[in-house]
Amino acid sequence: MERAMPQAVPLGQMEVFQALQRLHMIIFSQNVSPCGKFLAAGNNYGQIAIFSLSAALSSEAKEESKKPMVTFQAHDGPVYSMVSTDRHLLSAGDGEVKAWLWAEILKKGCKELWRRQPPYRTSLEVPEINALLLVPKENSLILAGGDCQLHTMDLETGTFTRALWGHTDYIHCLALRERSPEVLSGGEDGAVRLWDLRTAKEVQTIEVYKHEECSRPHNGRWIGCLATDSDWMVCGGGPALTLWHLRSSTPTTIFPMRAPQKHVTFYQDLILSAGQGRCVNQWQLSGELKAQVPGSSPGLLSLSLNQQPAAPECKVGSARGSGDPGRPGCVDRSVTTLLPLGPDSRRQQLQGGCLYQSGLPSFLPVLLTSSNTPTSISGV
Amino acid sequence: MSSESSKKRKPKVIRSDGAPAEGKRNRSDTEQEGKYYSEEAEVDLRDPGRDYELYKYTCQELQRLMAEIQDLKSRGGKDAAVEIEDRRIQSCVHFMTLKKLNRLAHIRLKKGRDQTHEAKQKVDAYHLQLQNLLYEVMHLQKEITKCLEFKSKHEEIDLVSLEEFYKEAPPDISKAEVTMGDPHQQTLARLDWELEQRKRLAEKYRECLSNKEKILKEIEVKKEYLSSLQPRLNSIMQASLPVQEYLFMPFDQAHKQYETARHLPPPLYVLFVQTTAYGQACDKTLSVAIEGSVDEAKALFKPPEDSQDDESDSDAEEEQTTKRRRPTLGVQLDDKRKEMLKRHPLSVMLDLKCKDDSVLHLTFYYLMNLNIMTVKAKVTTATELITPISAGDLLSPDSVLSCLYPGDHGKKTPNPANQYQFDKVGILTLRDYVLDLGHPYLWVQKLGGLHFPKEQPQHTVIADHSLSASHMETTMKLLKTRVQSRLALHKQFASLEHGIVPVTSDCQYLFPAKVVSRLVKWVTIAHEDYTELHFTKDIVEAGLAGDTNLYYMALVERGTAKLQAAVVLNPGYSSIPPIFQLCLNWKGEKTNNNDDNIRAMESEVNVCYKELCGPQPSHQLLTNQLQRLCVLLDVYLETESHDDSVEGPKEFPQEKMCLRLFRGPSRMKPFKYNHPQGFFSHR
Repeated sequence: MERAMPQAVPLGQMEVFQALQRLHMIIFSQNVSPCGKFLAAGNNYGQIAIFSLSAALSSEAKEESKKPMVTFQAHDGPVYSMVSTDRHLLSAGDGEVKAWLWAEILKKGCKELWRRQPPYRTSLEVPEINALLLVPKENSLILAGGDCQLHTMDLETGTFTRALWGHTDYIHCLALRERSPEVLSGGEDGAVRLWDLRTAKEVQTIEVYKHEECSRPHNGRWIGCLATDSDWMVCGGGPALTLWHLRSSTPTTIFPMRAPQKHVTFYQDLILSAGQGRCVNQWQLSGELKAQVPGSSPGLLSLSLNQQPAAPECKVGSARGSGDPGRPGCVDRSVTTLLPLGPDSRRQQLQGGCLYQSGLPSFLPVLLTSSNTPTSISGV
Repeated sequence: MSSESSKKRKPKVIRSDGAPAEGKRNRSDTEQEGKYYSEEAEVDLRDPGRDYELYKYTCQELQRLMAEIQDLKSRGGKDAAVEIEDRRIQSCVHFMTLKKLNRLAHIRLKKGRDQTHEAKQKVDAYHLQLQNLLYEVMHLQKEITKCLEFKSKHEEIDLVSLEEFYKEAPPDISKAEVTMGDPHQQTLARLDWELEQRKRLAEKYRECLSNKEKILKEIEVKKEYLSSLQPRLNSIMQASLPVQEYLFMPFDQAHKQYETARHLPPPLYVLFVQTTAYGQACDKTLSVAIEGSVDEAKALFKPPEDSQDDESDSDAEEEQTTKRRRPTLGVQLDDKRKEMLKRHPLSVMLDLKCKDDSVLHLTFYYLMNLNIMTVKAKVTTATELITPISAGDLLSPDSVLSCLYPGDHGKKTPNPANQYQFDKVGILTLRDYVLDLGHPYLWVQKLGGLHFPKEQPQHTVIADHSLSASHMETTMKLLKTRVQSRLALHKQFASLEHGIVPVTSDCQYLFPAKVVSRLVKWVTIAHEDYTELHFTKDIVEAGLAGDTNLYYMALVERGTAKLQAAVVLNPGYSSIPPIFQLCLNWKGEKTNNNDDNIRAMESEVNVCYKELCGPQPSHQLLTNQLQRLCVLLDVYLETESHDDSVEGPKEFPQEKMCLRLFRGPSRMKPFKYNHPQGFFSHR
């Protein structure tokens, strides 16, 4: 890549500090609003910024519309996870989960609706919450993180109903099996555990690192990402990204990707994954790499699908997580890749654009595509 | 004859007429017979009434005689003539009487006239007398009215009021019993009192006058004394000069400086006045001096118009003769450039003394034709400094004051008008001349009261005291901070070059007692080299690597792990922190691009630098950042998960106390050090 020598801009103390802060910003979590037109992103400074997808993806999008429309301080620590219900945005990070009303956020009145803290055993450190998972059938929320437990919270009453023990190290990720009320969790201890929500019992444990095919000791045992589709489960992290058949607890496909993956998801008959490295990978179930979509960031922590049919003009939203700081004052709008999407293997252009806010509450580049294919995704 | 005879006879007849008359006549006859006959006297004696009777009788007689004569004549007869004769005689007598009576009447008339005249004269005299008297009366009346109308002077005198008079005047003057009833006496008494008082006041006045005289004389004497003092003082001053010099008390010198200051160009004058004032009011360590030749400055000041004319003349001339004199064009341009960049012969020297006895010498120049000010800086320290190689640029006159205010690198002229002047003589930028002329920093212009608008060029820029004053304090403080931070850096560099991170005792609490990683290298690198490094891209692209910054490369080692740190040192250190970019060589190359923990380490030193500032004014920041980097490397290496498949013990056994090894989706290591418990946790 060509290295443009930017002009030496005279910078004062404040500007330097802001530039440094921007450089070291990490987006940990993102979530598309229920209407599909807005994207919330949470960073390591505890701020949540709201971007308007419809404005940023429209044909006459200006630089201004790619900056956050609202930014507010949500948590003291990083915002590790966010989910959306019909009306609420739930965010969690430093041990607390907070609820925000989407309607109010969009009106720029950003006051938390409620906040809850799972019952922790007292410790020197407040354990973080790494993952949130909505269980729509029970109208409950599952939280998991630093204290190695899964907490179930009733969204109606706001009380914590259950705690599931089993992990020996902190939990990275959660996934829900839609048909049977079962939850999968993957953690730092290298195990994926399957929990039955009705009985609150551990049903199955897969210790991924113990399988030679996928074990990679130099990367560690941790399971960083997890996704499930009925009988199938894909997980990755320290060990290689692997597709498992749950009933038989056997790895069926090992995807040839050296870098540890931080996010994985099923998309139609494809698997999308992202992690260390600049690309979002598209895999066929057989383990073939179908495509790689490069992004601007050196590492990705999260992918997000916008599957809202109500907003066809912004079907795909994906934001990236870690790493690369935005470049102050410049927007990279190059058309980067051809991404094959959908069963007809239609190739489709993906426009990569960095949304960037040069003020203090700046946020990370968000890769956006505007397409009219039924559903699409991408991660950067 | 007959008349004479009748005359003689007449008195006789008269005598014979009347007995009394006869008697008197007889007597007067006898009396007058000796002297003269005086009918006048006869008149007095005769009664006019009887004379009138006599006259009437005589006349009747005559009439009768006449009638008888007539009668006798008419009858004519012989006897008649006798008769007639008789009658004639009788008539003659009567005539005689008549004559007499006539004379008497005349005399009487005359006498009456005389008497009347006499009486008239008398009346006249009386009248005259009357007139005199009347006049006299009138005069007297006038005199009286004059007197009555006379205004006394005393009425004009403002007398004290009655009550006051009776209250204050002594009884021998007021004499109340006499004067109460008599306004005249009263007035007199009041006048007396007035007089008395006036006399007293006059006395006082005289006294005062004499007093004044005396005082005037005293003043005169004192004046004389004072005027005699001046030359004596002068001589004392003259005599004390060597003492002043000996004791370093430059009173006289200061005086001379003010004299010299009058020849300074306005911006330098403003600077001089303001810095002197600031030095006296706020900062005793500031010393100001003027250097250069006053005579030259004077000479410069005298014919300003001439020189301008010359210039324009020569311009025109040159245009005409350019073609002919082409070979000398280069030389001419050179001369013109020199002329344009000419400095005013006087300059202002400013010495800023810092607490540790190091001194910042600033020399301010004024470029007359460009209307800008420049400064040259030099730092001297109390003790001889061993200059580390990497500290070469720190105190160099070229860079020590760079970016005192953000962006003020002092390589461009602050006066927009200059660009046009440069174009004329073919100067591309002032940058090439800065070493020679000094740096035209913006703050220097502001100290000199020169304000240049950014937008349009303005040719008349007036030196303004208030502008200078408003920038004086901040600038002086910045200058001091700059020198101190540079000296602090200088000292730190000296240690750093020898691989010692000089953590001071008051910053010791920021770090654990045992730090295994060691700094092994600290070198300065060029700006271009920095931008060429593969792991500094972000900083360069963020515009944080301007060419006014200083660049260094540090190498921290522990065992086989080598951590390279490229450091950007902003001239605004320590308010603007040094920025570190890391590259770890251990089991492959790790940078912020492929390792989140390296990125976290960078943000620990770059973003969380405020924790590392230490005591104000935080000059130890760089040292602390480097030490922190060593600690971070320790943590990084010790918490690295052990690869079970590799035989043998871990290269870096975990010695640090950590609550958890990893946290969060990005699997951060516990980089935060908690004092005083001494464990590491996640931020």
